[in-house]
Amino acid sequence: MNLSGADRRERLDRIAAEFALGTSSPRVRRRLSAIATRDRVVADALTQWERRLAVLADAVPPVTPPPRVWARISARLGLEHRPAVREVPLRWWSRVGVWRALTAIGFVAALVLGVAQLGQQPAPAAAPIVVVLAGSDAKPALIASASRTDRFLTVKAVGGTAPAAGRVFELWALPQGGAPRSLGVIPAGAIVHMPLATPAEESLTNIPALAVSVEPPGGSPTGAPTGPVLYSGSIERMY
Amino acid sequence: MSAEGARTASGERNERLAALLARVGMADERAFEDVYRLTGAHLYAVVLRIVRDKSIAEEILQEAYVNVWHHAGSYDAARAQPMTWLTSIVRNRALDLKRRREIDTIAWDSGDDETPPIEYPSDGPTPVEMLMTAADSQSVRDCVETLEGGSKQAIALAFFHGLSHGELAAHLREPLGTVKSWVRRGLEKLRRCLDAAGAAE
Repeated sequence: MNLSGADRRERLDRIAAEFALGTSSPRVRRRLSAIATRDRVVADALTQWERRLAVLADAVPPVTPPPRVWARISARLGLEHRPAVREVPLRWWSRVGVWRALTAIGFVAALVLGVAQLGQQPAPAAAPIVVVLAGSDAKPALIASASRTDRFLTVKAVGGTAPAAGRVFELWALPQGGAPRSLGVIPAGAIVHMPLATPAEESLTNIPALAVSVEPPGGSPTGAPTGPVLYSGSIERMY
Repeated sequence: MSAEGARTASGERNERLAALLARVGMADERAFEDVYRLTGAHLYAVVLRIVRDKSIAEEILQEAYVNVWHHAGSYDAARAQPMTWLTSIVRNRALDLKRRREIDTIAWDSGDDETPPIEYPSDGPTPVEMLMTAADSQSVRDCVETLEGGSKQAIALAFFHGLSHGELAAHLREPLGTVKSWVRRGLEKLRRCLDAAGAAE
């Protein structure tokens, strides 16, 4: 069936409409799906109709599926968070699409810098916990480091990184699958210390990454990041 | 709720889902779990109405999400809204399965008084009611309003319960040709109206 020629557009539109609505015969469904995989015009016609009609589906009252559905999905895929779908409110950190890319960049940068530091200094003096916080341009902006037993993080600004006037940087620990936890406002200065409640190794347990957001003076008023997240990086443990 | 407010809420949900799907594309399990939590009940309800069998609906849902996990990387936010994409995945699976089962059982095509009535979920809205309240935007509701009675009913039953042309004819007790032209005219009208409304926004 030639459906992409200009004279066939009307016919294609009708067939696509009935496919999206669901009234097409199984034979037409099969053929149209097959054609759509190689013909962009046909695929677009289907997509357009699916888009038009999808809004109708909003009216269907939701029905919560039994918990075994998620259990089976995660078992099939061998996912780690197997049992529960937790009710954690979604906030900005769920919307940060560049997130994993940023932490991946941070990881590479951390390895490079870590190796460089190890090269420059005797090994024992190198901080075994290093986080290179980089922005979307992948350029390191801040480096946080600590020894395992330090009760503080040393934060070093790279290349004069500083917040805009009237704003502060706040440092956040990003627990696996949880909400960010504030580690405090980063004091002004080229190299500063930020106190930790417990030794770094303990404070950063189950924390794969850190991030820096821009906040009003005194830090986030809500306990969660409110400003844009400028930098992030994964925690590298060199022990 | 105002149409404006509702549209924004739906837009926000789609934005959030698009970001989550981007992370699922990079094998982020937590994001995948969030996608399920945000969409599972809606998609399950959509499938349930079409297949009318809980265990089959559960199976379709499982397959669909396994598919989402494997194919989120190819999801193209520029081509389809996340909810459109997800809804299409489960609806198509549900429809394909329903059609296959009908070929096996034939019962639907008997077309006489013996045809079993379609059973609606007793506590929920009917398909036409859903069509009338459909969507979060006034413009879509206005478009639905313009449909004639027969078209409205046929499209509602087809969309929400996955009835084929033959099933529609049997259920509405009208000749197949009449039902087909109701569907065709209704879709044509919806397209013109929805596209005009979309262009105006």
